[in-house]
Amino acid sequence: MPNFTSFKELLAYCAEHNCRVSEAALRYEEQYSGRSREEILAGMREILDQMRQTIASGIASDEKSMSGLSGGDAKRVMALLNSGSAFLGPAALKMIAYGLATLEENSRMRRIVACPTAGGSGSVPAVLIAIEEEQQVNPEETVKGLLTAGLIGEITSRRMMLSGAAAGCQAEVGVASGMAAGGLVEMREGSPEQVVNAAAISMQNLMGLVCDPVAGLVEVPCVVRNGLSGIQAAASATMALADIKSFIPLDEVVEAMAAVGKLMHPSLKETAEGGLAQTPTAKVFTQRLKGLGAS
Amino acid sequence: MQGGSLFDIVGPIMVGPSSSHTAGAVRLANLVRLIAEQPILEVEFILYNSFAQTYQGHGTDRGLVAGILGLRVNDERIRDAFSIAEQAGLTYKITPFQGANNYSPNTVVFQCVLQDGSPLSVTGHSIGGGKVYVSKINDKNVALRGDAPTLILFYKDQPGMIWQVTKILAERNINIATLTCNRNHRGEQAFMMITMDSMPDRAAVEEIRQIADIKTVRCIDRISV
Repeated sequence: MPNFTSFKELLAYCAEHNCRVSEAALRYEEQYSGRSREEILAGMREILDQMRQTIASGIASDEKSMSGLSGGDAKRVMALLNSGSAFLGPAALKMIAYGLATLEENSRMRRIVACPTAGGSGSVPAVLIAIEEEQQVNPEETVKGLLTAGLIGEITSRRMMLSGAAAGCQAEVGVASGMAAGGLVEMREGSPEQVVNAAAISMQNLMGLVCDPVAGLVEVPCVVRNGLSGIQAAASATMALADIKSFIPLDEVVEAMAAVGKLMHPSLKETAEGGLAQTPTAKVFTQRLKGLGAS
Repeated sequence: MQGGSLFDIVGPIMVGPSSSHTAGAVRLANLVRLIAEQPILEVEFILYNSFAQTYQGHGTDRGLVAGILGLRVNDERIRDAFSIAEQAGLTYKITPFQGANNYSPNTVVFQCVLQDGSPLSVTGHSIGGGKVYVSKINDKNVALRGDAPTLILFYKDQPGMIWQVTKILAERNINIATLTCNRNHRGEQAFMMITMDSMPDRAAVEEIRQIADIKTVRCIDRISV
């Protein structure tokens, strides 16, 4: 039975059993949890339904977060959708809006799906749901994309802690983008090699990303990063589907990312002591928030 | 690192804004509620490190109170935890600890007073993505993750203890996933932790409690949302 301690092992399994990554993911979860295939698929559909609900309420809302730092940007992007004045097509615009919407709902203390964390929760739903809508994909293929994203995150989490405090934003938005890129390739029935390549391309692009939240809140720059990461993931998936191969295998990309996380200075790991969090504007805001007794 | 469920990667469904600072806080408090086995009347939350620095903006305080009240990580009433606590008559205090310490980045110590007046102290850690573990219950070191039904036993070290406990589980067809034992000195206090694939019923736990020289028995269900 599969355990998948590495992506190499995953690819070997898919080749040996002539199966897709989502099928390998399903078999992994069956073995791990003892739940039936149908239960697991139902659980994944429930997760996708929550993602769709979060997006729907997020793009419709003007409400600000408790701190007042974020809220309403997803709606602004959606307003461009039929304006003809955007630089990007509707699928890409939706990826931006859906990523923003998810993080805005998160900062309003509304319901979201951590994927793999709350701070990186925008990428996977943004990409999977935007493509499902714009390219009329059967929702069962979206389920396969989500399973694949989950397995990519799971294998990655064996080598590094998925938190900004442990390894910076690369471990949250970076890993989320890799998951989204691989999931998207699976949705379009790419090969297991293309799935893994997409994740490798995406994750090497976001390697080194620091976690520098203003006032320690999951808002600036988290909201815009989640708005952008879906496009980055979709571009990585496109490159992989064009058969561009990552020179560095995904297992080694993850090892490198974990090593970069260890090298990263503590001020850049969710402590709000470096990066954007220590800019003059951020400092003024932080002082004002403390003066208000916060939240 | 050991493998986990894909539903811990794409999930949990939770109320924002932070999996470690909000969902992790709720889950830890849910665990404390299960450990207590009786209503909690008063609780002080002592926050360490990142929890102490950023708890207000992340709703860590609301999450902890909500978790003690029994709300789950996906409950949108977490926002209103303070007013729900007032209605429920729960007394709580939030104390951010300032200064150097050896705790992990997101640590909270729960100091509770239970319905029968007894105190309960629990040390919990939020370790990312909503995953948590409890390292201490009162003065006893434990390693409770809340991801599987878990039996925690303290007893006088002597031959046959594992057999007596596991026999009761076997009779109920409960499969043991992991079993850990340790002790400081021969014949003194020993610790046993058993994770299981299903939760034993009350009668089984009572039977274990009746075994001679068992001092403490706690049986804690999984808390994955």
